[in-house]
Amino acid sequence: MNILKVTALILALLKAPLFLVISAFALLSFYSADIDISVVIIEMSRLADTPLLVALPLFIFAGILISESKAPERMLRFSHIFLGWLPGGLTVITLVLCALFTAFTGASGVTIFALGGLLLPALLKDGYSERFSMGLITSSGSLGLLFPPSLPLILYGVIAETRIDHLFLAGILPGMLMLVLLMGYATTRERSIKREKKKYSSKEIISGLREIGWELPLPAILLGGIYGGIFVPGEAAAVTALYVLTVEMLVYRDIPIKALPGIMSKSMVLFGGILVILAASMASTNYLIDQEVPTRLFEYIQTYIDSKYTFLLLLNIFLLIIGAMLDIFSALVLIVPLILPIAIAYGIDPTHLGIIFLTNLQIGYCTPPVGLNLFLASYRFERPITELYRSTLPFLGLLLITLVIITYFPWLSLFLTRVLG
Amino acid sequence: MLFLACLQIFLRSVLSGGLLWADPVLRYLVLWCGLLGALKATALSKHIAIDFSDYLIPATFRPWVALITELFCTVTAAGLMLAAWLFIQNEMEFGGSGLLSLPTWVWNIIFPITFGLMSIRYGISFIFKLLDHFRSHPPNGAQNK
Repeated sequence: MNILKVTALILALLKAPLFLVISAFALLSFYSADIDISVVIIEMSRLADTPLLVALPLFIFAGILISESKAPERMLRFSHIFLGWLPGGLTVITLVLCALFTAFTGASGVTIFALGGLLLPALLKDGYSERFSMGLITSSGSLGLLFPPSLPLILYGVIAETRIDHLFLAGILPGMLMLVLLMGYATTRERSIKREKKKYSSKEIISGLREIGWELPLPAILLGGIYGGIFVPGEAAAVTALYVLTVEMLVYRDIPIKALPGIMSKSMVLFGGILVILAASMASTNYLIDQEVPTRLFEYIQTYIDSKYTFLLLLNIFLLIIGAMLDIFSALVLIVPLILPIAIAYGIDPTHLGIIFLTNLQIGYCTPPVGLNLFLASYRFERPITELYRSTLPFLGLLLITLVIITYFPWLSLFLTRVLG
Repeated sequence: MLFLACLQIFLRSVLSGGLLWADPVLRYLVLWCGLLGALKATALSKHIAIDFSDYLIPATFRPWVALITELFCTVTAAGLMLAAWLFIQNEMEFGGSGLLSLPTWVWNIIFPITFGLMSIRYGISFIFKLLDHFRSHPPNGAQNK
């Protein structure tokens, strides 16, 4: 039985779908414990009792719609007009745009593909070095993960059974901190080159505003709706999806009706991939908890570490490694159920833990040797991956600093939830 | 399907929670959507997976590893189908009636269907890979496995 489990684990590294590996583990475990294997499916069917789950496919759908439309071009033009005058304006634009785009499209690969192709030539034309520009885009490719309504935030809420509206609030300040630090660094770099500032006439400003007028209120609708008490997060997802659908299809007409089934099936595939992993891990987690694995793990760890801070330090190192190896969805689904009870036992707030998790996994995206952003950027910009390692290094350093701040100053994450939540 | 789900919530928020059954139906709809999506992901081999085979396995063994992986997927998906079938049988016997006065097993029938089709899909792909393998390695090559 154990040989089979080990085989499954080895195959997990060799392109076997993760959800089948986890399911195999669950099936074998229950079978060897003489428990009817239909328990696996009973656990999976419990997913239908999770009210928040509906937010996932709807936000995925909205995100894919946005990334398939011409919204990136519109956003770039708009921000040129309104942020272009800042010193190092284009770097600020890059960071803000990437963050916003990632927040709404969730899975961060899309950002590098959709915006990278627009931003890199613009940065190079503005006289920034190639190394700096690529590093900037690669590391901002996952920047918006902490801002609502990012999918990983929602997924964490579903797994940890934490309130999504709290998580949304908790991510804002840490995300801002990250953004501001990166901006500070990026705007002070390479200032020696004189860049001409284009002046925009009021006519151009108005046309720029009018162009994006329909997409601009989206964050306000979403956040205002949730915190104004008009709708719960699940409904916010529906409103967002419907709004985006109407705007992109009927107002801008970026997406022809013919393309809609393709987009729907694309979002179904993405959601299906996440859902089965979630389902499989419900079953295996149930087994692990039945065997009291988290409790034993906690007791074991406690014999070596008695301080919460040391635990957080080790957790960070562990998560950084995980983040570099696994994609964010499977990492969350696999690790959160095991770590959450331990962290609570150490007195860490689940909402704060969620922010720590996401920050780590976000940084893991750009960590050599296997961070996903590095691969995507190397593919998109047709550069060897080692060149990207070098160019992201300074940004990585800054992100690690924010990680330390986020980890050891919990009030940064919890302040807004206490005031507004 | 997603549009329907979206519309339903929207209607509900406008009608201020008038439809009691809409919420649970929606949740099952999400489940069905997801599982069918997963089935599609299988067909496109777009499941989330970690691929270190390029680093860990020498090129000559890679086709074999791929074969073993397919076989593993077939068997596991079949195992899940069996589990789902047992679950459905239990539900048929003891489940009683659920939403919209349909028996609960009807709502959960998607589990065995998805995993069954998935297993068949992996099985077929396993057989094709096996055939391919023997075609590209005629009998002489088959000796040095």
